[in-house]
Amino acid sequence: MVGFLAEYMFTVIYLSLFVNLGLTLFGLFYKPHYIKKLIMLSILGDTLNMFTIFLGYRAWPTPTTPSRPPILLTYPFENTSVLVEFTSRAVDPLPQALVLTAVVIGLAVMVFLIFLGDNLFKHYGTLDMREIRRLRG
Amino acid sequence: MRRVVSLAVLVSIVLGMSLLIVLSGQSFYPSENLRWLAVVYLNTTYNPYLPDFTVWSPESVTAIVWDYRGLDTLYETTVFYLAIIAGLALGRGVKRLNQKPTDESGLSPIVKTVTKITGPMILAVAASIGLHGHLTPGGGFQGGATAAVVPVVFIVVFSSFYLLWKGVSSQRMLTLRSAGLIGIGLTSIALFLAGLLLGLPSYVFQNIDKTTSPLSMPYDVHGALLSGTLWWFNLFEFLAVSSGFTLAFIILMTPEAEEKW
Repeated sequence: MVGFLAEYMFTVIYLSLFVNLGLTLFGLFYKPHYIKKLIMLSILGDTLNMFTIFLGYRAWPTPTTPSRPPILLTYPFENTSVLVEFTSRAVDPLPQALVLTAVVIGLAVMVFLIFLGDNLFKHYGTLDMREIRRLRG
Repeated sequence: MRRVVSLAVLVSIVLGMSLLIVLSGQSFYPSENLRWLAVVYLNTTYNPYLPDFTVWSPESVTAIVWDYRGLDTLYETTVFYLAIIAGLALGRGVKRLNQKPTDESGLSPIVKTVTKITGPMILAVAASIGLHGHLTPGGGFQGGATAAVVPVVFIVVFSSFYLLWKGVSSQRMLTLRSAGLIGIGLTSIALFLAGLLLGLPSYVFQNIDKTTSPLSMPYDVHGALLSGTLWWFNLFEFLAVSSGFTLAFIILMTPEAEEKW
């Protein structure tokens, strides 16, 4: 029962991420306002980061012994039992490390896009993409 | 009609990506066999029985970020640097106002007092996150992003001239950020330079001594773990990230002197 429930919740979260992906793509393509596009872009980035984090949760031991963060809490240790327990239960730290750098880059790119929007507003007096497209040239 | 077409396009994109992931489950999407890689990282991050492979850091995420995959993070810092520089280049050539803040500017005295109390507390938490990055969840990136909240709060609550008047100018932030980046560069080649001077074999981005190279950063100072280069990388990355974001926010939120167009 516990195993079924864990698998069910895993699937629900996974599917909701795909729904999230569709909603953000809709916002990116069809919302005319620049700021709305930026909001959707940040949610899209977070959704993709969530997908990457999910990779680390593959092959966790069993649903009854849940996974733990990849951080060793008891050190220095006397025997290797602590280390064996840690390596068998901790989630994959590699996706977390990759996402950590992706988040900071996303923040920096967002700052750059906000600067760009600032300049767009100064040039055109509007952030509506339909107006900006019409004023091209 | 257009709405139906757009809906169909989006649904097909999402379903197609899901299908791709499901169909190529053996190659495109990592399978459960990938677990052995995680076990290698987890087993060597703090392991006194494997002195040739360990990083002496109980936090395996920071160990991966700054030791196992240190070069990735160095170039990632470069991308961060370039994004901030590109943003600043867009805000270049604009004359910005610089005046003394008055008591009337900003929000009410209650908010100002609370902000004066909580601002240093946020900075302390940020420094704790950044400098304990090799022991607990956190590191230079997270601590720096937390510290960058403080100038934003101060600009909103006081005024955009308050920070300038207090001495947090864009020039000083640029200097601090350059110091952080130079520190990252020096830490990555510190043991290589020491090896050149002493005539011993050593590598760029070396952290702990290996069988082929006897040089090592101090990983343990009087019982306090430093994890070799990790602590220094976190310190300098904290400086670079926090001052970089502060710089961008200062430039973005200071009003211009006159309308150019």
